[in-house]
Amino acid sequence: MLETWFLFQRNLSAFWRAFRRNRMGMAGAVLLLSAVLVALFAPLLSPYEPTTVIRDPSGRGLTFAPPSVHGPLGTDDAGRDVWTQLVYGARISLLVGFLAGLIAMFIGSLLGILAGYFGGWLDMLLMRVTDVLLVIPDLPLMLVLVATLRQMELKISPLVVLILVIGLLYWTSTARLVRSQVLSIKERQFVARARAIGAGHVHIIRKHIVPQILPLIVANTVLILSTAILVESGLAFLGLGDPTQPSWGTMLNFAFDRNAISNGAWWFYLPPGLAIVWVSLGCVLLGNVLEEMLNPRLTAHHLEGEASVRPAGEETLHE
Amino acid sequence: MKRITLLFVVLAMLLAACGAPVTPQSQSPVVLRVGWLGFPDTLNPAYAFLSEAYTIFDLVYSTLLTEGPNGKYMGSLAEAWNVSDDGLRWTFTLRPNIRWHNGEALTIEQVVWNFNTFIQNPDGWVTNSGYVKGFKEARALDERTLQIELEYPISNMEFRVAFLYIVYPKDFESFATPEELQNFTNFNPVGTGAFKINTLDKDQRVILLDTNPDYFDGRAKIDQVIYRTFDNSDALIQALRVGDIDLAVEVPNSAFDAVKQFQGVTAISLSGRSLTELILNSVPEDHDPPPNRNPAITDPVVRLAIAKAINKQDLVDVVLQGHGIPGVSIIPPTLGGGFWFNRNIQDVTFDLDEASRLLEEAGYLLQADGVRAKDGVRLEFRLQYPSDSSNYPRAADMIATWLGKIGIRATPAAVDPDSLMAAVTPNGDYDLVIWGWGSDPDPDFMLSVMTSEQYVEGGWSDSGYSNPVYDELFVKQQKTLDENERQKIVWEMQEIVFNDRPYIVLWYDNTLQAYRSDRFVGFLTYLSGIDSFKSLMNVEPVK
Repeated sequence: MLETWFLFQRNLSAFWRAFRRNRMGMAGAVLLLSAVLVALFAPLLSPYEPTTVIRDPSGRGLTFAPPSVHGPLGTDDAGRDVWTQLVYGARISLLVGFLAGLIAMFIGSLLGILAGYFGGWLDMLLMRVTDVLLVIPDLPLMLVLVATLRQMELKISPLVVLILVIGLLYWTSTARLVRSQVLSIKERQFVARARAIGAGHVHIIRKHIVPQILPLIVANTVLILSTAILVESGLAFLGLGDPTQPSWGTMLNFAFDRNAISNGAWWFYLPPGLAIVWVSLGCVLLGNVLEEMLNPRLTAHHLEGEASVRPAGEETLHE
Repeated sequence: MKRITLLFVVLAMLLAACGAPVTPQSQSPVVLRVGWLGFPDTLNPAYAFLSEAYTIFDLVYSTLLTEGPNGKYMGSLAEAWNVSDDGLRWTFTLRPNIRWHNGEALTIEQVVWNFNTFIQNPDGWVTNSGYVKGFKEARALDERTLQIELEYPISNMEFRVAFLYIVYPKDFESFATPEELQNFTNFNPVGTGAFKINTLDKDQRVILLDTNPDYFDGRAKIDQVIYRTFDNSDALIQALRVGDIDLAVEVPNSAFDAVKQFQGVTAISLSGRSLTELILNSVPEDHDPPPNRNPAITDPVVRLAIAKAINKQDLVDVVLQGHGIPGVSIIPPTLGGGFWFNRNIQDVTFDLDEASRLLEEAGYLLQADGVRAKDGVRLEFRLQYPSDSSNYPRAADMIATWLGKIGIRATPAAVDPDSLMAAVTPNGDYDLVIWGWGSDPDPDFMLSVMTSEQYVEGGWSDSGYSNPVYDELFVKQQKTLDENERQKIVWEMQEIVFNDRPYIVLWYDNTLQAYRSDRFVGFLTYLSGIDSFKSLMNVEPVK
């Protein structure tokens, strides 16, 4: 146990040393981390609640006030502080993104491992389900699902509906990726040896397969996270978010509905748009770099065989 | 294939535009280009529900009487009219020399056919049926005199007649069943109005109307009107800004101040006849099908608390950007110049603490998650609104926020208008809904919305409100000929509705419109807006 921990720590620090030198990866990590910090400390970053209406001296709501008149980013059509909406919006956007991403990752990995490891009719069945989901256009399907689920009087909040729908539809790419990795790993000698000394399926999956594909899953999750955030923004922009909980998508939805463009209120629609770009760029940079460093197929030549299974960090260590 | 059609339409429109100016003056025709966001689904007066259809009816068809600028009625097809002393016989004398768009003369028999068809076929002529209720028979006294006999005196007869468009009988005679009649789209109507349809393209959503040179009340000062449908309000406004259209019939509240700044554009804000309300499910428990709702919504205390938790002035300031006034009664204050609006009703004051206290005293206690509950009934409501409005999402958001502060959780959701209509009437499957009405000039229609008999499929009631006292008063005001007597009843009815709260009227919004004042002058600012038929008759190009 102690030995495993030590090994993990050594791998991790080796990985960190390699990662640190990768500028793209670092940039992605900084972008993503800054957004997470903003979301966590939202109440410290703004003196208002997201629903507070800023009023002029006569008590009338100060609507469409430019940044020169109020606060760092002006007010929206309802006289609410845009900066406050933005930092609180980070909470909803990231929360939906993270949770949906985790659900997608979990389902995708589970189905990928089952299909890859057991093969046969199970593989056949699971992969056909994946194929079906892959060919259905995501956005229309999600629109219909979200709208229908909300029409039915389910006692769940609109946000949970969003999280579930995104999470339950975006696991297909993970499942395919994981399956292909598992297919190659299960043919390796150490798996055959483990099986020869009588190890059960559960043991082999837990001790030999999952540790091998875990880095891959992590990298893939970061990429799915950006998709989930984009999809959430898209659905919220189309009016399927929860209007009482500002997310970047609902901000854009209101900006569009309430003619921010005709009013020249750039401070209303640019910040949430840029925030979405900020986070998805962070995810994509980080995810690509992680995938590059952790995916054995991308780092080593296929003829090197067994050497490629070693964590990427180890090679750097020997240099 | 699609591109070819488009090209063909463009060509057709070019040809049409070229064809018209072959007039003696040989100058280019004056075209008024109007932009709007809707499109009529039918031009059949028997079964039309969209306001866009009525805009076109006003241009293409004529009625016996029409509403004048001061709310009084004036002659249109009829030049004189009177009523017998018992109020049961109305006689209308038609103007001479009225012609249909196809050149035929309008005969008294055709007018009689119109009225008798409306009376005898209420299942087919659904939209007219309410207006001919109590009519017994129409007959011709001579070649120009029409007599309508009633079953009982009708207080708003002039208004009702002003709603009944006289259609060309040959177009409507052949239908055997009500369904056949209603499925007829009548996209090429023959009327007696000041404009006639030249082209109606429902794929491109363009309607091109030519001026009727033989119109009985004089020719319009413009030669053509083109209605173009825009997909969203920003595109509509930009088209007005760059001069692609001359008149925008609906400017969104949130863009009005921006439009005012445009060069060469005049933006107009008129107090109108529309209202927006919060509907509280009031369907009787024994209705079939039974209502599906949170039972707490019928508790008068909860209703009062909701009313107290809504800051109507804030809604007007934010949602309407100040272009309207807070709502109170189901009758807008503009009807009859304020004559019908009960100004004695004192609205409840916005007070969140008081609202919380009311709920607390009634036994609705705060739970750990901030939502109040009593005997296991949690104050959780659906707050739905039709998805085609840009005002309702913000209003729903604000109302849900206020309600949240007094321990009521309202979950806003945009719903497709047709689905919402089906959920509301007659299924009663809702808690709170934000929706609006455009009122008639006469209070009768808005009052009818609250009667029990309207809560049926295809009926006008959406709240499901049912009150025998109210229903009785409704019939009574219809038969009361004395205006002051009728006013008393109408005021009493408004008070009943206000106190029972099937609706919480949120606001009366202004009609916001804008036109290119560097191109056209002469728009009339009536209640119905500067795009009214009278206004278009008066518009002329800037010289």
